[in-house]
Amino acid sequence: MRRAGKLLLALLLVVPLTACWNLEEPDEQAFVLGSGLDYTKQGEVMLSSQIVVPSGIGSSQDGGGSQKPDSFRMMKANGKNVYDAVENLQKQVSRALFFGHRQTIIIGHRMAVHGIGSFMDIFIRNPQAELRSSIFVVKNAEAKDIFTITPIFDPIITPTLSREIRSMGLKPYYFRNFLAESMSETKLPLVPLISLNEMHKYVYAGGAILNKDDDLKLIGFLNAKEALYANWILGNLNRLAITALVKKGDGNVSVKLQTLNHKVHVKPSGSQINVDVHLTGKGTIVENNSNLDPTNRMDLMTIQKALSEATQTSIVEMVNKVQKRYKADIFAFGESFHRQQPVQWKTLRTGWKEAFPLLHITVKVDIQCKDPGQSSSSLMKSFQKPG
Amino acid sequence: MKLTGIQVVWIIATAELVMEVWLRISPAIEIAEQDAWMSMLLAGLIGIVLTFLAVRVSMLHPGQTLVKYSQKLLGKGFGRAIVLPYFAAWYMLSIDVLRSFADFIHLILLDQTPVWLIELLMVALMAYITFAGGITSIGRFCEIAGPVTVITMFFTFILNAGNVDWSQLTPVFNDIGWKQVAKASVAPGSFFGETFMLLSVIAFMNKPEKAMSKSMIGLFITIVGVFAATSMVLLVFGSHLSAGFKFPYFMIVRSISILNFIQNVDIFVIYIWIFGVFAKLSLYLFLTSYEMSNWFNVKDWRKMILFGAPLIFISAIMVPNQTWIVMFQKLWQDAIIPFCGIGVPLLLWILSAARKKSVQA
Repeated sequence: MRRAGKLLLALLLVVPLTACWNLEEPDEQAFVLGSGLDYTKQGEVMLSSQIVVPSGIGSSQDGGGSQKPDSFRMMKANGKNVYDAVENLQKQVSRALFFGHRQTIIIGHRMAVHGIGSFMDIFIRNPQAELRSSIFVVKNAEAKDIFTITPIFDPIITPTLSREIRSMGLKPYYFRNFLAESMSETKLPLVPLISLNEMHKYVYAGGAILNKDDDLKLIGFLNAKEALYANWILGNLNRLAITALVKKGDGNVSVKLQTLNHKVHVKPSGSQINVDVHLTGKGTIVENNSNLDPTNRMDLMTIQKALSEATQTSIVEMVNKVQKRYKADIFAFGESFHRQQPVQWKTLRTGWKEAFPLLHITVKVDIQCKDPGQSSSSLMKSFQKPG
Repeated sequence: MKLTGIQVVWIIATAELVMEVWLRISPAIEIAEQDAWMSMLLAGLIGIVLTFLAVRVSMLHPGQTLVKYSQKLLGKGFGRAIVLPYFAAWYMLSIDVLRSFADFIHLILLDQTPVWLIELLMVALMAYITFAGGITSIGRFCEIAGPVTVITMFFTFILNAGNVDWSQLTPVFNDIGWKQVAKASVAPGSFFGETFMLLSVIAFMNKPEKAMSKSMIGLFITIVGVFAATSMVLLVFGSHLSAGFKFPYFMIVRSISILNFIQNVDIFVIYIWIFGVFAKLSLYLFLTSYEMSNWFNVKDWRKMILFGAPLIFISAIMVPNQTWIVMFQKLWQDAIIPFCGIGVPLLLWILSAARKKSVQA
């Protein structure tokens, strides 16, 4: 009898082990892969979500030409805040919305202008996958417009966007980075920017600068080139292609930089603060349309000099724009100061916002072509009239 | 009931790691910012001193637990009165841990299950292990759960290696002074001081002469674990963001993402944590039951479980809100540690030393 009792107890314990407890089975869940936040003209939050349709994803072999349903559906709902919108969205979906696999958060243009600071709480209080999600701002469009795009390679747009960032040579920018920057003392977040082109496909458009001191409102944009340069200064760039006119050689040269380094030195002297930015890049010549021969040392020096100078000029322009027009420390110069001159920082700490536009920033770019590629002088010569 | 040296090592490590890593990291970072790792080392120092005291005292009375030798030294009446705060401290600690644990599981995992049911399951399990084998089975359990906890934590650190940014720790020791670092170390130090439970545990060791070295190894594992977890939290999130999280260690586990493939490993950590909470609660249920039987001069200490387990369960349900839990942690630091961790052990030490002298003379 005792034995039977023990056995019964053991069997009872099996019930919770089968995990039939909270009933969160996959076919009871609507998996949200991406969420977009927009701000409506009426002053409400519009939450758009990309929801996976599992029956649309299966492998292509079993389809055999039969009509498959779409692999995703874009749904949207308005609300007073983010969770209110989630609840309103739930009314349209028969399965429980599940955000644990969210990969992307997209901020619409109007939302960025309004400022997203007041909608951030839910992502820290109730984080399901946010720390691993990527975040984007959309230029001149709403977040929901991005989710309706059918990408070329993937069935769904959300993973494509993170791959796009990687294919641009950038390190991934997670929501966690965004949060850390928004909460940091001096650095302003530079969030990857996408926009729609005429074909209604997405295109990498650079970066959006948000004001962490003012409700994370949009300050301004950097275009794709500028954003790459800014990320070079930040050390978030793995590779970069540069094309510049080499005057002496009467043509342009492209180089693919594989090793990028960055050094920021902060040197206060008197009342002025000098910031020296030294950027170095090493790479391979991939296209040479000039009449110079990169295997020749003198010619190579000319090419390197021209490339370095051209890049330097563009970067100085970009830095000026950010410093004078946007007055936004996206380069983490404040943090560099904090680390390099910790004692002086204490007096400057509170006044950094005012000090930033007055910094004396010098940029030096040093590009080296380690490999001239698989030919010496340009092939262009053989197609020209000898003369 | 006997404990081996290794079991004592892991009892300390399992019971302490759980609370320190779960609850003490972000308050320390709030005060000491990027230098919080120093605070943890300083806290470890506090822990070493308190542990030394507790082990020293109990080694002077081999084979006797706190309630026995306090009566021997202070007489029946006063000896009994002085241990009452220990019962209060241990019961309140159990209530606090049980409630925090159940709230956490409810929030993260079983949101449709009532909190009391989670608590009931845990209380039933801990009553069972305590009833079945007392300290021996708890020691054996810790011997397994402890290493598993440490190994799991180690792996979460390795998997986070890609998220590490060393500049988050700089500038070292500049923004805040020694005062802040010391201030931040008080709370975690008081949690390390939980080792005053050894006053009653050492008596069960089969080789009591090794008590000191084994306790110190256990404490050392805890300090290293807490130090590593704090540093890792800082390295991944930086001081500003991690101060904003309630459970920052859990958050770094959540940020693990290797090749978009190894993700959501937080579930492993939750299970490991349940082990730790279980070990800790069972340990205190045993200690309170055993010591209470000594207090009442009851032969069968198992009967006391019938009082302790329901008390812990019902009180944990009655805890109204988070405020109480924060208050308890304050009480622990400001009253319980000074009294139970420092005052009484010191008094007992002096008395035992004096007695020894008078016996020799």
